[in-house]
Amino acid sequence: MGVVILLVMAAGVAAMLTRKLPTAFALVILAVVIAFVAGAPLTGKNSVVDTVLQEGAPALAATMIAIVLGSWLGKLLEETGVAATLVRKIVEFGGDRPVVVALGVLAVSALVGTVTGSAPAAMLAGLIGIPAMIAVGIPKVTAAGTILMGIAVGIPFELPLWQFFSTALELPVPTVRGFMVKLFPFALVAAVLYVFVESRRRGVEHTWSLKSVQDKPRSPNRRQRLGDAPWYALLTPAVPLILALGFELAIIPSMLAGVLYALVTTTRPREMNKRLLRTLYGGFEVAAPPIALFIAIGILLAAVKLPGAVDALEPLVKAASPQNAVLFVGVFTLLVPLCLYRGPLNVFGLGAGIAGVLISTGIYPAAVVLGMATSYNQVFGVADPTSTQTVWAAQYAGVSPQQVMVRTLPYVWAVALGGLCVTAASYL
Amino acid sequence: MKALGAAADPDTDDLDLAVRLLAATPTHEGRDPALLRRWAEAADAFGAALEPGPCRARIVERDDGLEELLLARYTSRPATVEICTDTVDRAETLIDELGWRSWYPVGSVRAAALAHESAHEHFHHKETRTALKEAIGHSALRLGRFRVLAHVAGAEEIAAHAYARTVCGLGRSPLLLTAALAAVVGAPGREN
Ligand SMILES: [Zn+2]
Repeated sequence: MGVVILLVMAAGVAAMLTRKLPTAFALVILAVVIAFVAGAPLTGKNSVVDTVLQEGAPALAATMIAIVLGSWLGKLLEETGVAATLVRKIVEFGGDRPVVVALGVLAVSALVGTVTGSAPAAMLAGLIGIPAMIAVGIPKVTAAGTILMGIAVGIPFELPLWQFFSTALELPVPTVRGFMVKLFPFALVAAVLYVFVESRRRGVEHTWSLKSVQDKPRSPNRRQRLGDAPWYALLTPAVPLILALGFELAIIPSMLAGVLYALVTTTRPREMNKRLLRTLYGGFEVAAPPIALFIAIGILLAAVKLPGAVDALEPLVKAASPQNAVLFVGVFTLLVPLCLYRGPLNVFGLGAGIAGVLISTGIYPAAVVLGMATSYNQVFGVADPTSTQTVWAAQYAGVSPQQVMVRTLPYVWAVALGGLCVTAASYL
Repeated sequence: MKALGAAADPDTDDLDLAVRLLAATPTHEGRDPALLRRWAEAADAFGAALEPGPCRARIVERDDGLEELLLARYTSRPATVEICTDTVDRAETLIDELGWRSWYPVGSVRAAALAHESAHEHFHHKETRTALKEAIGHSALRLGRFRVLAHVAGAEEIAAHAYARTVCGLGRSPLLLTAALAAVVGAPGREN
């Protein structure tokens, strides 16, 4: 029976890889098929309809709210010119030295990423950050990679992500936060190394482009009318992080505080209501894809946690999972590429199911699974050529996502190795 | 002869083109056009006054410029100037088609490309970069008498074009030719 479930999972991965099915749809179908194969009844206790679909769909509700709030804050940062002003200031101060500009944009995308999550952060920091880096002579692939590596620095402090791992792996938020704090130095060192090494290797480039004097067909931009945001408004992206990390406040109130801070520092009282609603509704649009995904992941998690599925999968997964610390690090470091291209170890795809199996069968403690999942997340958050932020950043810079993958993968692979080492040392 | 569109209208003065370049450079969204004009003027004057020097970079030719909408490219590591020969050839025929020979003598496009990219080499020296910032005089931060001069994105590009115009003795800025080329090779985003 376990073998059948694994075959179903393989078929699901194939459907996602070949883009036959959007990931969210594939995961739901996968969940229903797994539940039936595991012998779940149609209705009642541990059933397909009541447990997998009804209870699974809202299981990650807190994460979804955090995502909505993050997207809302992202829209506010965009509309009030906070993100643009940050990048503009970085160029003004550091434009003479491309490395300084790259490090500055890296910091902005890290900071923005902590509140908005990866894909919105790529757009917020990259929209001006990527052309600004190119304008000071940073090569295109390096520019796109800088945004993504920056987001990876922020990933350990991405608040919606804390909520996700806490709910999905049934771990308290402080445990998640504790591990993320240990993962952060690896991400930071890798990103700073990326900027320095790639700048040294590629230097700067200037092009005499035929496009330079064209009237850009610019999208109607509210920033056109607005000047710089005031300096204290630039602290907005740090507010939720300071509250959640420094004051250990819960995630949703921390993010709400960020929304409020952005509002009062940039908006006249008369315009507050209008701006809040407009950016909130705009945020939903940005949040739609991840929310769809999290509904599907909740359903998949419910399916793989069914007693029938756990019993069927336990012997198989147990045989394949190393308990020895060195072997653990070695095997899972080698398996890193399996999280790319929506592969089976992508935590926002089938990987969530696998994580669920590992925990519910008791093969690894939840903290170990957390370590694995977050280590892999550092890789595909940057280098997966099918993830939204990578595709967007690469295309916006005018290069292919594969080029960005090749250039960033060595760095993030090393981060995953570091994360797995910490995991083995702390929890195995 | 095809209409070239507003950007490549020979009646547009060189400074307007430089302002257009600045306006299209990120970080200048929404800046006052009068301010951009002052900066463009300063950068242009600065480039025109740059000490002429030889281009020490390695020169490489490539022939995919029209495809990439590129005339030349400078990379610092190793110091290399890539000249897109197809774009240069197209520029030379275009100059004849438009009757702009008095502005751009035969062979001047390649010379201008080399000069332009060697201007970028100039800007590798900190003193040159600082001098350009002083010429433009935009502050990133001002606290009483203390101020930090700001880097103005795109200013170096304008200076490089002014330098090329001066050392190659062109009648008009290379930016005018750039705009005309963009119009005829059908860069995306314009109709004709
Ligand atoms: Zn140039």
